[in-house]
Amino acid sequence: MYILKRLGAMLLTIWIIATLTFMVMKFIPGDPFATDADVYPEDVLQNLRAAYNLDKPVPVQYFLYMKDLITLNLGTSIVSDTRTVNSIIGSGFVASATVGLLAMVVAIVFGVLLGIVAALNHNKAIDYVSMVIAIIGISIPNFILAPLLIKIFAVDLSLLPVASWGSWKHAILPALALSTTPLAIVARYTRSSMLDVLNQNYMKTADAKGLSTYRIVLQHGIRNAILPVITFIGPLFVSLITGTFVIEKIFAIPGIGRYFVDSIFNRDYPVIMGTTVFYSVILVVILFLIDLSYRFIDPRIKLTSKEG
Amino acid sequence: MKKWTMLIVLLLSVAAVMGACSSKNAEDVEGGKNSDVKQELTLNIKTEPPSLDPGLATDTTSAWVLDHVFEGLYTTDEDGNPVKGVAENVEISEDGTVYTFTIRDDSNWTDGTPVTAADFEYAWKRVLNPETGSRFAFYLYYIKGAEEYNMGEGTVEDVGVEAIDEKKLKVTLNAPLGYFDKLLTMWTYYPVKQEQVEGNKNWSTDPATYVSNGPFKMTKWAHDSEIVMEKNNDYYDASVVKLNKVTFKMVNEATTFYQMYKTGELDLISSLPMDVLEAEQNNEEYLAVPRYGTYMYIFNVKKEPFTNEKVRKAFSLSVNRELVVNTINKAGEIPAYGMVPPGVSTPDGDFREVGGEYFKEDAEEAKRLLEEGMKEEGWDKLPEIELLYTTSEGNKRIAEVVQEMIHKNLGVQVKLVNQESKTQLANVNQGNFQMARMGWVGTFVDPVINLDYFLGGSPNNRTGWVNEEYDSLLSQSKVEQDDAKRYDLLHKAEKVLMDDMPFIPMYYYSSTYLTSPKLENVAYYVNRQPFLKWAEKVD
Repeated sequence: MYILKRLGAMLLTIWIIATLTFMVMKFIPGDPFATDADVYPEDVLQNLRAAYNLDKPVPVQYFLYMKDLITLNLGTSIVSDTRTVNSIIGSGFVASATVGLLAMVVAIVFGVLLGIVAALNHNKAIDYVSMVIAIIGISIPNFILAPLLIKIFAVDLSLLPVASWGSWKHAILPALALSTTPLAIVARYTRSSMLDVLNQNYMKTADAKGLSTYRIVLQHGIRNAILPVITFIGPLFVSLITGTFVIEKIFAIPGIGRYFVDSIFNRDYPVIMGTTVFYSVILVVILFLIDLSYRFIDPRIKLTSKEG
Repeated sequence: MKKWTMLIVLLLSVAAVMGACSSKNAEDVEGGKNSDVKQELTLNIKTEPPSLDPGLATDTTSAWVLDHVFEGLYTTDEDGNPVKGVAENVEISEDGTVYTFTIRDDSNWTDGTPVTAADFEYAWKRVLNPETGSRFAFYLYYIKGAEEYNMGEGTVEDVGVEAIDEKKLKVTLNAPLGYFDKLLTMWTYYPVKQEQVEGNKNWSTDPATYVSNGPFKMTKWAHDSEIVMEKNNDYYDASVVKLNKVTFKMVNEATTFYQMYKTGELDLISSLPMDVLEAEQNNEEYLAVPRYGTYMYIFNVKKEPFTNEKVRKAFSLSVNRELVVNTINKAGEIPAYGMVPPGVSTPDGDFREVGGEYFKEDAEEAKRLLEEGMKEEGWDKLPEIELLYTTSEGNKRIAEVVQEMIHKNLGVQVKLVNQESKTQLANVNQGNFQMARMGWVGTFVDPVINLDYFLGGSPNNRTGWVNEEYDSLLSQSKVEQDDAKRYDLLHKAEKVLMDDMPFIPMYYYSSTYLTSPKLENVAYYVNRQPFLKWAEKVD
């Protein structure tokens, strides 16, 4: 029952997002076929508008779009008129998700590690060093970090390619550049949450039982400390795997990140809608999975439909 | 203790990163061992080509690939002049309206079958078919019955393209056309193979169904990442093609592709990042090639104060173009005192040189013109003036300098407004501007394409300026068969335009390149991307 209600709410959310995007999109001035290069004759333009249903009143366009959306047909791009939006998202998502997942793994593994080490050494030098690293990680924007990484690892050391896509080597630098901010945030979350947990009675009990530090931290500590971190990594996960404009641009990754931005500049309506709907679907699904995962991590949490 | 182990690992990894930051560099890895040079080349096309269907493509990125994998009846030589390509012979009727092309016997598709006259007939009629939705169909309107068919008013049977037999193509034009050979080098006129194209909407996105007839064939298209083409051994002129493989990478970020060039991942890059231009200018690998286009500010002649011709001229004369080109852009642009860029060879020499400069910058004269103009209109002071430009760092820098020069020389304060490109364009198209930045690059190299921009009925002409004499001179030039007379008419038309000056010409564009010293015989054109038909890798 909970799951059914939840699914209904998810569909509703997606529908609202799609509708709002559609409306806002139509309010932006500008014509997708307008160009300062060769201007097409009016009759040609009319043919083109008809091909994309743009000659019809906006409510009709909306209805036609929603009809296609139900059958998962996202239409054809206006800029790349030989490519469907489905294929743009399909091929782009693979690259974006690859870099995003890698970055995610790096961020979580090292972030949690850094956070725990800092918490265990509360107010000692190691704690300060870790948190200074975290603050640097949060404050250096990745459009600064990315060229720096390129300069060091590709240009100076010749260890990795500068950019482009094709082998595993191409994924390392972008994943690294992408991971620093989330890594730092994860580290800070973990640290404060871990500090909380360390003061709990059950931790003292575990210590009194004579368990090793290793087991205490691993079995009792992390499991309790990780909850707030999970809440945070849900949306983070979505934003990482759906690609990022800056990193994909700098490293020439064939992801979908750029389409979120470029499609708006190009008034490429089907792509604007397609990427937005895609993003919201991923987001609501992941959030749902995160909620489910709470239950497994902490059996005390009950999934009820009352929580709103 | 465990936590100490973890800590040490952590510190070590941090130290490694820090160390990497400070160490200058490891020894350079030397690559060249073999004397055999692989005839493989990697260059940067920057973005995903919107369409590799010659009938649908509208942009120079797509054209870069298309020009290599296809060939039309005419192609270009090393200097960019039109020469016969797939056509072996051309007969033109007395009145200049009927062309009969004979197709080379040895011209083949990449699947080994011969290119026929019917392939051209099919391709052109497909472009004109309204259902194809070709945005460039109007480039074929010179052909009899073409416009009517494309507008849905005529029939396909009435289009003046006909394959008389396997190798002979008869083309009937509405009127004689002095630059038809140049037009035929354009991708919209390329042939396509009916069996591949018909019924398969995705034929041009999949190398398996991508059959073409040029020096190269496409073998891989990884969207947003790279396009690979290999030598086409079925091409009739394959013996001059040296490269076996060409990879077009799609790297749009200037700093990134510049670094890739520096590390040898790219052999040729164009549009260098602004911040390295100065440093690279003395590099032997650097090349600046004039580009067949004009950077300008157009006036809205329907809005005050630019309703007055003298005011328009005053603005134009008060701008120091050398300064803009040499201290802001620094990419080898040429100051513009006319509309047609250099690069058109005519019997008397380059069109631009023959036409000369139509005015000289002169602050004194500008001030005088402004006063005269204001007196004519009875104005004591000018209304507020806005200059509208498309948001970009380059446009901004130039607009600011122009603003300052107008202020200094004319005492007029111009307000700068920048808008994102489609919004700016929407406003300009609706006439919501006084001065607006525009650019125009010719699709083929003939003055007519630049001057047509200001035709009374042209959708490109957003100035509101309409001049009957100008329109008439241009239409005369289009049917004039004699080249000398034709260029003369075009010079006259340009003079009429410059006398009224509905725009401020700023400069003629240029393209900047870095080319690896190991790469030779690349043809650089004024209106197309570098052509690699003759290119070769050397040691």
